[in-house]
Amino acid sequence: MQNRQAMRTRKWNQWRDRLFSLLGLSVTTLGVVVLLALLVDVFMDGFARLDFDFLTHFPSRRPERAGIYAAWVGTLWIAVLTAAMAFPIGVAAATYLEEYARKNWLTDLIEINIANLAGVPSIIYGLLGLGIFVRWMDLERSILAGGMTLALLVLPIVILSSRESLRTVPSSIREASYALGASKWQTIRNQVLPAAMPGILTGAILAISRALGETAPLITIGALTYVAFLPKNPIGSEFPFFNLDGLMDPFSVLPIQIFNWVSRPQKGFAINAAAAIIVLLFITFVMNGIAVYLRHRSQKKVRW
Amino acid sequence: MTPDKTKALSADPTHAMEKDIAFKVEDLNVYYGEKQALKKIKVDIPTHSVTAIIGPSGCGKSTFLRCLNRMNELLPNFRIEGEIIFDGQNIYDKNVDVIDVRQRIGMVFQKPNPFPKSIYENVAYGLRIQGIKKRDLLDNIVEMSLKKAAIWDEVKDRLAHPALALSGGQQQRLCIARALAVEPEVLLLDEPTSAIDPIATGRIEELLRELVKSYTIVMVTHNMQQAARVSGSTAYFLLGELIEFDETSKIFTNPGDRRTEDYITGRFG
Ligand SMILES: Nc1ncnc2c1ncn2[C@@H]1O[C@H](COP(=O)(O)OP(=O)(O)O)[C@@H](O)[C@H]1O
Ligand SMILES: [Mg+2]
Repeated sequence: MQNRQAMRTRKWNQWRDRLFSLLGLSVTTLGVVVLLALLVDVFMDGFARLDFDFLTHFPSRRPERAGIYAAWVGTLWIAVLTAAMAFPIGVAAATYLEEYARKNWLTDLIEINIANLAGVPSIIYGLLGLGIFVRWMDLERSILAGGMTLALLVLPIVILSSRESLRTVPSSIREASYALGASKWQTIRNQVLPAAMPGILTGAILAISRALGETAPLITIGALTYVAFLPKNPIGSEFPFFNLDGLMDPFSVLPIQIFNWVSRPQKGFAINAAAAIIVLLFITFVMNGIAVYLRHRSQKKVRW
Repeated sequence: MTPDKTKALSADPTHAMEKDIAFKVEDLNVYYGEKQALKKIKVDIPTHSVTAIIGPSGCGKSTFLRCLNRMNELLPNFRIEGEIIFDGQNIYDKNVDVIDVRQRIGMVFQKPNPFPKSIYENVAYGLRIQGIKKRDLLDNIVEMSLKKAAIWDEVKDRLAHPALALSGGQQQRLCIARALAVEPEVLLLDEPTSAIDPIATGRIEELLRELVKSYTIVMVTHNMQQAARVSGSTAYFLLGELIEFDETSKIFTNPGDRRTEDYITGRFG
């Protein structure tokens, strides 16, 4: 009697398993298909427009002469700046919280706040950047202000993913280090951080690559206003990179350029937008590819 | 190692008569939060001998071992009372540098835990953190330590290879080499063979018999044959108490306590 009941339960469970995997598969496929459709659409519109001139020309009132020189250079600047600020601060904060901070109400509060900040809409960060960096610190609509704003935006995510990664470092590694007479800092510096680094990098790169698609916070701090006066482009003329004066120049980035073109009536600008989207997607895919590679490499390593 | 740190633990003439005792443990009580893990432990651990610690799991063997080089302090809820005299000084004294203690009293863990680095860097690590950079000195000590741990012949052609590619038994001997590289006086081993196969276990036991000529060894084991094979004296722990401590031959042939007898004859544990 009991056996029969067990059999029925097992049958039902098997059936339910199958149903769920089917459901999961179809939902996943749906997502991929929609994404593919979008990609195909964008590529059909924009791919023909992609050429050397498009990448090296400044924006123009005539769509066929307009390019994304300023925009992709700006995106690159912003990416480097955001990484240069968010990464060290984020890793340091995560290391402190994970390895040094005592558990008390203050660290609990910080923790909750970081988790909440990771979910704050990006435009709020734009307003914060506008208030603090642009107005109060008087950085105006500079690349520096933009980079700092995006660094703020990704910081909570970098901290969270770094902590996650630090937590996966087995305690046996720490113990081995301490047992040899290493101090806490030596242990963290020589063993814990290197072991956690692939995970930390993966998280940081993914966060930054998302930030590069952000439009709202940069428009808020004033990047769009600049785009309205496109003809004079300071970034292009401020090349090469090591001239840090460029930090104080106004800027544009790819998503803002795209946004600007999409909102114009001419068909030519829509094509430009599609081509710029391909470039932005390319940058994002390259960065995500690096992140995936790092994660894969760290997983392939023999387990301790 | 700075000179004054060494002085902090240097031999005290009044303890000269105790030169055969490596650790003098007095009234040791250990707590994890509210829970008492060790109760009134009093024992003298001899030098240049293998001391085996046996007892059923959860009885406090690891806890006791980790008290001997202050590894337990890493746990947040750990609390200790009593004294552990090593080389004439209580290692829990405020003026004793914990780093010095851990350099002089090395440790090998239950699960081999090499760093995810090369074989060479694993052994050199303890020296590097002391600020030793000279390549030939490092080379020398790495080679000597690997030889002492009887693994040199197996790895000498692949010192730059990742340590994690070694077999479990090799990893454990590498961990022993790594501990020996900082030139400790004592080696603490917590069930060093419980995670590796019998042949590798035999090699490690052989190694311990060799190492005991120059080191004081304290080893936790749940394998009583191993204790009998390798150790000179044996401590039997039960529920956080030291039930009996004596020469291994005596413990295994003529135990003084009924509970010890029950345990070693397999009636319990
Ligand atoms: N970090 C810890 N926190 C709380 N209790 C612990 C901790 N480590 C060990 N204990 C407890 O202390 C007792 C002794 O543990 P342990 O020394 O590991 O025993 P053994 O090595 O003999 O198996 C056990 O009851 C165990 O649950
Ligand atoms: Mg144990």
